[in-house]
Amino acid sequence: MMAVAFKPIIYEDGKGIFHLYPGLCKGCGLCIQKCPVNTIGWSDTLGVFGTPTVEPGHGKPCTACKNCQTVCPDCAILIVPIKDRKNLKES
Amino acid sequence: MATLPQPPMPVVWRSETKPHKFCPGCGHPLVLKALGESIEELGIQDKTVFGCDIGCSLLAWDFFNLDTVQAHHGRVTPVIVGLHRANPRLVGIAYMGDGGGYAIGSQHLVNAATRNEKIMVLLVNNTLYAMTGGQMAPTTLPKQKTETSPYGREPETTGKPTLGPEMIRAIAPDSAYVARGTVSRLPQLKRFIKKGLENVVSGKGFAFIEALSLCPTNWRTNAEETWKFLEQDMHGYFPVGELAPEKGEE
Ligand SMILES: Cc1ncc(C[n+]2csc(CCOP(=O)(O)OP(=O)(O)O)c2C)c(N)n1
Ligand code: SF4
Repeated sequence: MMAVAFKPIIYEDGKGIFHLYPGLCKGCGLCIQKCPVNTIGWSDTLGVFGTPTVEPGHGKPCTACKNCQTVCPDCAILIVPIKDRKNLKES
Repeated sequence: MATLPQPPMPVVWRSETKPHKFCPGCGHPLVLKALGESIEELGIQDKTVFGCDIGCSLLAWDFFNLDTVQAHHGRVTPVIVGLHRANPRLVGIAYMGDGGGYAIGSQHLVNAATRNEKIMVLLVNNTLYAMTGGQMAPTTLPKQKTETSPYGREPETTGKPTLGPEMIRAIAPDSAYVARGTVSRLPQLKRFIKKGLENVVSGKGFAFIEALSLCPTNWRTNAEETWKFLEQDMHGYFPVGELAPEKGEE
């Protein structure tokens, strides 16, 4: 079976590298509510349904807690702690 | 072309069917994320059969790289029981909504639990009939407004919301595993699902897990109100946790 490749937009914020996949993000906003430092906000980039996607940089710096990744129903967010950059899995 | 980091999907998710068919902010795919990771971590992908019901659960018919079957409304429990009886090596999962499990399919749920069938039932409670436009379900909360309870549910005429896991605990043998999780505590929900699957794989007994979920489309809520309805209203009525058998029953 063919695995599909998704292309992320990559943001750096605080301790995290924030990967956002516009091809998966439906703009539900659940992650915005669950970020303990309120860094996630709406972005000008549109997602798969033509609704705004999200981006970091709207609050205090990201702590790389991965709450947003956990609560995303579409697996549209990948957080890689900056300290793990060299282990960034390529697939 | 350089390869890029890929989304953190469980290996058993079928990436070519993503984005999936659930609405923005739906809780179903969060439950399916916990289920996918559990199947992956237990290494049972090759022998697992996933069955979905009528209702929004059917939107998962192409969700996994798993043998999948979709049944009539409320009937996914006996379909999975039949598959498991024909081939006991299989790990059978019956996935449904609260309407499917507690209303039209309640007799199947009750009888599978009483017989201690070695299958796992995973029931998603979003307090209404979502796929048909948000009508009142057995789980609708008192005073909750739905398409068919426009002034709010009145327990005097329509009863109190069904407490599914409590009912299953009361009728199933002690070796059954019963729990209620929530998509707002996903690691805990995953722990419950894994324990349920282990109960089935080891042949110990039935497993029943209710997952409290989100339906912003029919609740007509924004993201903030969506979490609030789950974490205040639903958590307030439906206790989250494992339900141990009463001592000295068997
Ligand atoms: C025998 C039968 N009766 C009624 C229906 C109409 N119907 C389709 S989906 C649904 C409700 C589903 O609600 P629920 O099981 O709670 O799942 P949800 O959509 O909320 O996930 C109903 C009543 C049907 N498809 N088949
Ligand atoms: S109607 Fe509700 S339960 Fe159905 S897919 Fe949409 S959000 Fe999910």
